[in-house]
Amino acid sequence: MKLDVEKSLILTALGAFIIFSIGAVVTTVIPPLVDETLWTAGEREIHEYTEQELRGIDIYKSQGCVYCHTQQIRQLASDQRRYGGRLVDAPASEAWEYVNDKDHFVGTKRTGPDLARVGGKYSSEWHWAHFKDPRNMGEKFESPNGAYQSASIMPSYKFLSDAEIKDLTAYIQTLGRNKNWRKDADGNELNDYEK
Amino acid sequence: MKQDTAAKLMIISSVLFFGLALSLGLLAALKFIVPTVGEIEYLSLPRVRMLHTNVNLYAWLLQANMGILFWILPRILHTKLFSEKLGVATGILYNLTLLAGAVCILLGKVQNVEYGELPLGIDLFVIICWVMFSINVFGTVATRKVKYLYVTVWYTLGAVIWTTFVYITGNIITVMPEVTGINQANLSWFFVHNAVGLIFTPMGVAIAYYLIPEQLNTPIYSHKLSMIGFWVISFVYVWTGAHHMIHGPISPWLQTVSIIFSFSLIIPVMAVITNFFGTFANAPRATRMDGPIPKLLMMGTIYYIFTCLQGPFQAIRAVNEITSKTDWVVGHAHMALFGAFSYYAMAGIYYVAPKLTGRKLYSKKLGDLHFWIMTIASIPFFAVLWISGVIQGFAWLNPENTFVQTLAALKHAHVMRFITGIGISAGYMLFLYNVLQTFFGKYADEVDVETISE
Repeated sequence: MKLDVEKSLILTALGAFIIFSIGAVVTTVIPPLVDETLWTAGEREIHEYTEQELRGIDIYKSQGCVYCHTQQIRQLASDQRRYGGRLVDAPASEAWEYVNDKDHFVGTKRTGPDLARVGGKYSSEWHWAHFKDPRNMGEKFESPNGAYQSASIMPSYKFLSDAEIKDLTAYIQTLGRNKNWRKDADGNELNDYEK
Repeated sequence: MKQDTAAKLMIISSVLFFGLALSLGLLAALKFIVPTVGEIEYLSLPRVRMLHTNVNLYAWLLQANMGILFWILPRILHTKLFSEKLGVATGILYNLTLLAGAVCILLGKVQNVEYGELPLGIDLFVIICWVMFSINVFGTVATRKVKYLYVTVWYTLGAVIWTTFVYITGNIITVMPEVTGINQANLSWFFVHNAVGLIFTPMGVAIAYYLIPEQLNTPIYSHKLSMIGFWVISFVYVWTGAHHMIHGPISPWLQTVSIIFSFSLIIPVMAVITNFFGTFANAPRATRMDGPIPKLLMMGTIYYIFTCLQGPFQAIRAVNEITSKTDWVVGHAHMALFGAFSYYAMAGIYYVAPKLTGRKLYSKKLGDLHFWIMTIASIPFFAVLWISGVIQGFAWLNPENTFVQTLAALKHAHVMRFITGIGISAGYMLFLYNVLQTFFGKYADEVDVETISE
């Protein structure tokens, strides 16, 4: 008997499903099975979020920060230099750093800068002023951006309550802390995220 | 219930939602130029963006495609729609679900999945609607009066089956508490990419496979190419999700797999496109230029080539280093969903609307004008996004440029994007007027009904 797929609803549907399911399984089920860093940090020390930081994560999610800010330092020199500190490049992001994130904010679009290593880079006061009015920072905080600060197109988040901004800032200050990468001029580790 | 009520309901509501989606796009574009516009929580840039993508994807494009297929399927299968009542119920429930979903997004009650922001409760209703749609599709195919299944039916069946799994993975499995971090990112990009590739591509291509030969009155160029296109795409497309994380924190082998398969997409896409162009080439010249429908189909196909050539190349690591995370990607996504598949959907609506009302299209000339305005505005719209993407990508390479400096360099591109966006919206207004006139306007009736022969 000749197998005529085009005459049969069942053969067409089943064929489309089986062929699709090969790729679906290999790209979704297999990766966590062969690469355990996708779901566990193993022996490595990893930050557990506090209640306040978790509230911050919810605000980050509901305000859709991820649509303009990625959280991944790619394995590219340009990323590592740009998002590093003054004296040291930022290390590339690795999968295990994210295992405590119930919501990942890896992101696809950088309308604003990457935030994967932003924790501790700016003081919490800076974040406060920046959330309230992103285009009016130059006078309050000296920075090489000075003149260009007004070019920022970040929306103002002045509608968030003071408590909400504190929660959000607390979360942002944790970003990147799973790798203790910031060092001072003498090469000592700077663990100053709490500022 | 009257034949084709479901198609009519879904097509009219999708056309209205298209206007909402375009307005949201314009508002977002305006916020890129003047960030202080509409500075309230519900209209902050990310919320507008979420609503813009969701209204476009689900309320406009998917709904339009479902409506058009509700009309097309019975015609190719020479039977009645399996259940008109079920179809109408699908349409009503789907619209109510999406309106509720839009409110959730404005209030910030969202899931953290790009393109899947609608919260879990809404997702469940979307799935119910999808199951209702699937029952109608399978039922109509099962009760058909012809032996062979035409290409349109293959793609529709494929879309129905694949979408079920893709949607559930993206909207239910990714938000389970066990799924965290990069594992979740992998699943959500499986969803993001396949939402475009295995929902909108097969439905759009299904519609084009019906409309091109019907409108041009020419048989499809090659049956073999149809088969190659369908079976290769159903194998190849699903592997590519991880190309959103090239150079990123996911297993390098998975990145390489996604790159290889992204590149392989050239095969099915070229098969489909050769088939469409072959049909165009064989058609008599008069039919190729007759009114807006063949023009929209042709331009949609051209945009389909562009977007599907970009895709494979921008997945290559060296190219990705520059284009990824920039406006380039935004241009690419608009090219696929607006350029290719919205053009097919608009062609489908121009084709089906007159048949639904039993008279000719209100105005072919207005349709042509709509096509030209939209096309002339959309070419620079896409181009400016690519150009600004490349500028941005190279500007980021130089560590001397601060981030806001690289942003300041894009000001002209953002202004241009807004202006061309206005052009696209102007084209849409003509489309809306033409379609609404065809459905509800008063003008000389001419009988042009295509009844189903049983």
